[in-house]
Amino acid sequence: MLNLFQLVLQIAVILVAARVVGYLFQKIHQPQVMGEMVAGILLGPSLLGWLAPGVSAALFPASSLGYLNALSQVGLVVFMFVVGLALNPSELHGYGHAAVLTSHVSIVAPFCLGGLTALYLYPRLSDDAVTFTGFALFMGAAMSITAFPVLARILTERGLVRSRMGTLAIACAAVDDVTGWCILAYIVVLVRVTNASRPAWITIAGSLVYVLLMLFVVKRFLPAFERSFARRGKLSDNLVAVVVVLVLASALATEWLGIHLLFGAFLMGAIMPKSQEFTRYLLHKFESVTVVLLLPLFFAFTGLRTRIGVGGGHSIWLYSLIVIAVAITGKLGGSMLAARLAGTPWREAASLGILMNTRGLMELVILNIGLDIGVISPVMFSIMVLMALVTTFMTTPLLEWVYPHRLLKAQVEERQENVA
Amino acid sequence: MLGLLGILEAGRGIVAPPAISGDWNVDFGAPGSCGAGRLRQPALSISQSGTDAVITLNDGRATSFEATVNGGTVTAARFSATISGQSGARVLDGKLNLDGCGPVAFRALRLAAGKKRGE
Repeated sequence: MLNLFQLVLQIAVILVAARVVGYLFQKIHQPQVMGEMVAGILLGPSLLGWLAPGVSAALFPASSLGYLNALSQVGLVVFMFVVGLALNPSELHGYGHAAVLTSHVSIVAPFCLGGLTALYLYPRLSDDAVTFTGFALFMGAAMSITAFPVLARILTERGLVRSRMGTLAIACAAVDDVTGWCILAYIVVLVRVTNASRPAWITIAGSLVYVLLMLFVVKRFLPAFERSFARRGKLSDNLVAVVVVLVLASALATEWLGIHLLFGAFLMGAIMPKSQEFTRYLLHKFESVTVVLLLPLFFAFTGLRTRIGVGGGHSIWLYSLIVIAVAITGKLGGSMLAARLAGTPWREAASLGILMNTRGLMELVILNIGLDIGVISPVMFSIMVLMALVTTFMTTPLLEWVYPHRLLKAQVEERQENVA
Repeated sequence: MLGLLGILEAGRGIVAPPAISGDWNVDFGAPGSCGAGRLRQPALSISQSGTDAVITLNDGRATSFEATVNGGTVTAARFSATISGQSGARVLDGKLNLDGCGPVAFRALRLAAGKKRGE
């Protein structure tokens, strides 16, 4: 039964922790979202449950986590819509060979290295209820993701959005995200179809029909929202509600088909009209509540499932080191070499690799899906969460080291002068 | 693509530990076995990550201990069992040391186990 007092208390504690740790991380030049992710981990068994198990059990009893999970899932649905909305695949146009090569290599290299790592980790951290194929593909997808929203935030905070490297990174991350989510959708279908009572052809044919409907029917009606916005400078509350209902309907469709409700929300955002003012208006409408209230709940729920340093023995640290090294080599190394091969100067190529290595929040979303469908074990989940935190944390200091702020500023100014 | 297919092919021969995660109904054979009456069904809950597992007893105190899955056996300081059956109908046969008692023989059946994931 719902204990409302407990739920409200949980939300309050989570929000305070997220804001305080987020603020502290900003002080050390980290994005706020990095601090919020760490706050979630600190509230879980890795710190609070270890230091004060009684307090942890009283504040977050296992029986109450279902409500927290439900709220965080609603937040993720809206957030994935926002991520899809912010994505603009046309940004890739105009960056030519470097963008195409870098975006492809930044997926293929970590994907293959993730698969190779699976050869070593599968007999140690998985079990025979998961096939090697499912495990290896998931590892590949999890290694190759880039956190588009965190990347965009880092670029904005460092004034890099208008630099050549910044625009290239955004374009590559957009391609990576779309590809990563397609691969993940395939894995979820692969895993769920074998467990579901529904025949596989319904999921596969249904998904195909759903995507075609979204791209060729629903998408045709969406510019009506944009026209209404252009006429009145805003959307009426009724139209905003219609957008929300469309997002929920799309999410429900993919959940019913056996993919995952987040894919539906993401696709709905991806096919929305992309004019700058309209996108900015919708982002403003949806982002505040999601980012300030609902995402910290997701971080906390993730933290409560993460047990860094708890159980699994000393070998867990070795596995963690291997996973982190492989993730960095594949993503940072792969992107950097590809950009260099495409003619980008070393410093810019290295910076691009560092940016593409940011996994952040999107990695946590994928890992939670993997744990939910049982393709990774709780210990593997914790190792991958640690990898996501490390790769996200290292982005800002590494970027400052490789490409100091003064150099970037000079480059942006030079670019503006050339445009003028 | 060829590299990935090669990896997937190479992985087909790798054997992962048998899956024992989940809730288990335990039959202690002789009724009134020492301490067994304190356990409610499902008497065991197992959380597994590869070769490591945590076994939790449904004894009202959620007593838990770490175990190791090695081939067809699962062992811990106060627990040892052999694993048999397919993933969907797995069985544990072994002995459990309950507080203040000697080893008690048991047979455990897993509840609602899923099919192989990712085929």
